[in-house]
Amino acid sequence: MARTFQVGDTFTHVRQCDRLRPVYYAGASGDYNPIHIDPEVGKLAGFNGVILQGLCTLGWAVEAVAVFVGDPGRVRRVKVRFSRPVLPEDTVTFQGRVTAVEDGRLTTEVTATNQRGEPVLRGAVVETSLG
Amino acid sequence: MALDPKFVGRAYGPFTYEIGREKLREFSLILGGSVPSAGTFGEPPEHVSPLLYSQEAAQAGPYGDIIAFPSFAVVFAIRPFSAAIADPELGVDRVRLVHGEQELEFLGVMRPGDVLTTTGQISELYRKAGMDFLVVTTETRNAKGEPVVRGVWTAVIRPA
Repeated sequence: MARTFQVGDTFTHVRQCDRLRPVYYAGASGDYNPIHIDPEVGKLAGFNGVILQGLCTLGWAVEAVAVFVGDPGRVRRVKVRFSRPVLPEDTVTFQGRVTAVEDGRLTTEVTATNQRGEPVLRGAVVETSLG
Repeated sequence: MALDPKFVGRAYGPFTYEIGREKLREFSLILGGSVPSAGTFGEPPEHVSPLLYSQEAAQAGPYGDIIAFPSFAVVFAIRPFSAAIADPELGVDRVRLVHGEQELEFLGVMRPGDVLTTTGQISELYRKAGMDFLVVTTETRNAKGEPVVRGVWTAVIRPA
C-alpha cells in the first residue's frame, strides 16, 4: 500500500562529519577547494582547520528527505542558504516537516543544526513527487 | 570594488559530462557516510537506498538501473559557476568568496551513460550590505535536448 503523507508530519536525520569526510567528499565530488582539504588554508580563512563542503550539507538535507519518502529518485527541487560551515567532528541534526501535499508534490522544510545548537542551513526547502 | 553589472548575461559553456556507473556509486556511498579504504567503500550505511548502488535492487525497482543521488548534479552543473568565479575579466576575489545559496531543480533522474550538457550565465550581480552577490543560473540537458537539471548558484563576496 502506498504510504500517505500529511502536512505536519516530521522526521529527523542525524549525520556525523567525521574527521576525513571533507577529504572523502572532495574525491567523490571533485570539489578540491583547498579550504576543504588543507588545514592551513582553513586557518587562514579564520577557522580551526578545514570546513565541510556546503554542497555536502545540502546533499545530507536532500538525503534526509529521500529517506523519509523512501526513494531518492523522487526529489524534484532543493533550495538552501548556507548560514554556517560544518566542521570536522560536528554532528548535524536535520529536522524536517511536511508543509504542503498538493498536485502530486510533497514540500518539506528542513532545519540543520550542529551540536552547539547553531543552524548550518537556513530556509531549506526540499520538494519531492509523491509517486 | 563592486563587480561590474555589465557582465550580467555573460555565458559559460557548454560543458559536457558523461555519467559513469562507478562514479555514481562512489558519490552516493561517500555522501551517505561510507569510509573508503584500500579501494573499497566498505559496507553501505543502512540509510543509503540500494537504488543508488545495487544493480539487483535497481533492476527490480522503478528506474531499471541505478540512478544518481540527486545532488550528484553538482559535480557537472557547477561548471559555469566555477568558470564565472575564475573569469579574470570579472575579477572575483576568491579568498573572500563563500557559497551563499543554492537551488537545484531536478526534471528527471540521472542514470549511468547519460551524456549531459550544461550551459549557464550570470543572471545577477548586485551589492547588498557591503557584500557583492554573484548569481549564476545553469541548465543541464540530456542527449535528446531535454532539460534534466536547473540550478541557481549564489556566491557572496565579503568585503576586504
